[in-house]
Amino acid sequence: MSLNAADLPTGQTHVQNNWWRRLFHNRAASISGIFVLAAILLALAGPALYQNTLPSDQSRTRDGVYQDYNAINAGPSAQHWLGADYLGRDMLTRLFVAVGVSLLVAFVVEFLNIFLGGLLGLLAGYFGGWIDMLISRAADMLFAFPGLLLAILVSAVFGTAAREAYGGMGRLILVAGALSLVSWPLMARLVRSETLSVKSRDFVMASRGLGASDFQIIAAHLLPNVAWLIAVAATLDVASVIVNEATLSLLGLGIEEPGASLGLMIFRAAGKLERFPLQVFIPAAAITLLVLAFSFLGDGLRDAFDPHSS
Amino acid sequence: MWKILSRRALSLLFVLFSVTFLTFFVSYLAPGDPILNMMGGRQDPVRYAFLRHLYGLDQPWLFQYGSYLNNLLHGNLGYSFKYPERPVWALISNGVPVSLQLGLLALVFSLGIGVLAGVLAALWQNTWRDTGIMAVMLALYSVPSFVIIPLAWAIDLALYKAGLPSLPVAGWGKPEQVILPVLVLAAANVGFIARLMRNSMLQVMREDFIRTARAKGLPWRVVIRKHVLSNALLPLLTVLGPATAFLVTGAFVVENLFAIPGIGYLAVQSIGQRDYPVIQATTLLLALAVVVMNLLTDIAYTIADPRVRVE
Repeated sequence: MSLNAADLPTGQTHVQNNWWRRLFHNRAASISGIFVLAAILLALAGPALYQNTLPSDQSRTRDGVYQDYNAINAGPSAQHWLGADYLGRDMLTRLFVAVGVSLLVAFVVEFLNIFLGGLLGLLAGYFGGWIDMLISRAADMLFAFPGLLLAILVSAVFGTAAREAYGGMGRLILVAGALSLVSWPLMARLVRSETLSVKSRDFVMASRGLGASDFQIIAAHLLPNVAWLIAVAATLDVASVIVNEATLSLLGLGIEEPGASLGLMIFRAAGKLERFPLQVFIPAAAITLLVLAFSFLGDGLRDAFDPHSS
Repeated sequence: MWKILSRRALSLLFVLFSVTFLTFFVSYLAPGDPILNMMGGRQDPVRYAFLRHLYGLDQPWLFQYGSYLNNLLHGNLGYSFKYPERPVWALISNGVPVSLQLGLLALVFSLGIGVLAGVLAALWQNTWRDTGIMAVMLALYSVPSFVIIPLAWAIDLALYKAGLPSLPVAGWGKPEQVILPVLVLAAANVGFIARLMRNSMLQVMREDFIRTARAKGLPWRVVIRKHVLSNALLPLLTVLGPATAFLVTGAFVVENLFAIPGIGYLAVQSIGQRDYPVIQATTLLLALAVVVMNLLTDIAYTIADPRVRVE
């Protein structure tokens, strides 16, 4: 007689081992996943590939900053595949760069969100007491501001200084920081309540009974059991971060010229919608697709990790 | 009931403290010397000292926060940096009714359409009509307002070119200038409320007392109207807070793209001029709008649903 792995009692672990298979079977989520990967690749390699289809002496007309005075507000052509904007800058390159900016901001925000929000939520849920009190009240303070308001305030007040000190990158980091002020409290709250429920499960009790330290319990039991929640929440949050970054840039608080952002592109072209609708609708379509893709991917991940939720 | 309301009042105080403290602190940390900025090239130490004292910037921060709170309680939002010696309230008071009008109209409209769409979708559950309505609602909810605005403009433009009646795309004051911004501002909330309403309807429709009402021979229409709707509408009260929060962020985008002289428009104008007290005041006012809405909702809920009072 041999003990077969399939005969062993299965629980959460079994469910979580097969999450990628369930994700793969979810059509909306897998298409979204492929779209997101394609967007990341295009943002990274797109500008270089696109510029190199021209001879090297002309490739700088497509660098997204070069102003081609013969192509101001031009429609799509062999030279500029998606046309050029009001300064004669190549639209396709600016689109790649803007998508890259959206994704970079989202990446930085989620990094902070996972490490700050996730860790604080875990600590608050596990230790309770005054640690929980401190972290939860701090999160509540930030929750007091509806929607984007705190991010608007912070980037409005520090925007100029960030630009003067660190240039375009400074603005980008500031935007990401401001947006993570809006994001991490929600993450902390979610992780805290999940930690509370995992903490009371029998295997944690057993582990403590065997003499495991707080650190061992957190690392070996709590973290693996809340990791899926963190991944799902972070993916879903990317959708709102992308919209929020575009909103800030549109209001003149985020990415500035000559940098590119989807919100900024829409804002610059909105007044000339009548004559050059493509300049508005190309970035608008890009942001809509990105937002939908991250939402579907997040929903798919949640269903894959937690099949009972839907 | 009083116990619940007093607990709510306590959390309200905490929220108010957080909002005022963080708005104050962010502006306190603002880089650069606002007085030097204000004075420009004229370096007059006497005037510098006078202005610094006028704005209270010569005090330690705790005192500054104290007097800031004290001023707030007396309805004084401080003085503008850009237009020295002009109170902030004089600069933004014209924008308040505009934003209020815009927001309330959008809220009423989104409640009307959202509830209707949610109820219809629930009654037509799992038919193509349900799927269609919910797909549109998902789109309204997830497509950002700055994408919906150009779309609305493009449709408006096509109507105009076809010689059909069309709406103005900017400005404020005439009734026809109100329609487009209200529609756009309401869009996200319509989607949000419809999804909630559908869930709430379906949940109530599964309850035992609905089956009983059916079993005793009440026509389905009466059951829906008298039993399902009245119970399903109740949870909707709780979304008024989040819905207002949506409106607040939406107002920034909508007011700026439609050139509507509301709070969001004035805030963005003052950002360009580094007029921190104005930014601070607009943030505070908008946060207050949401806080007040949340409080009203809580009170209304406690009155409307006796079960809350027992718990």
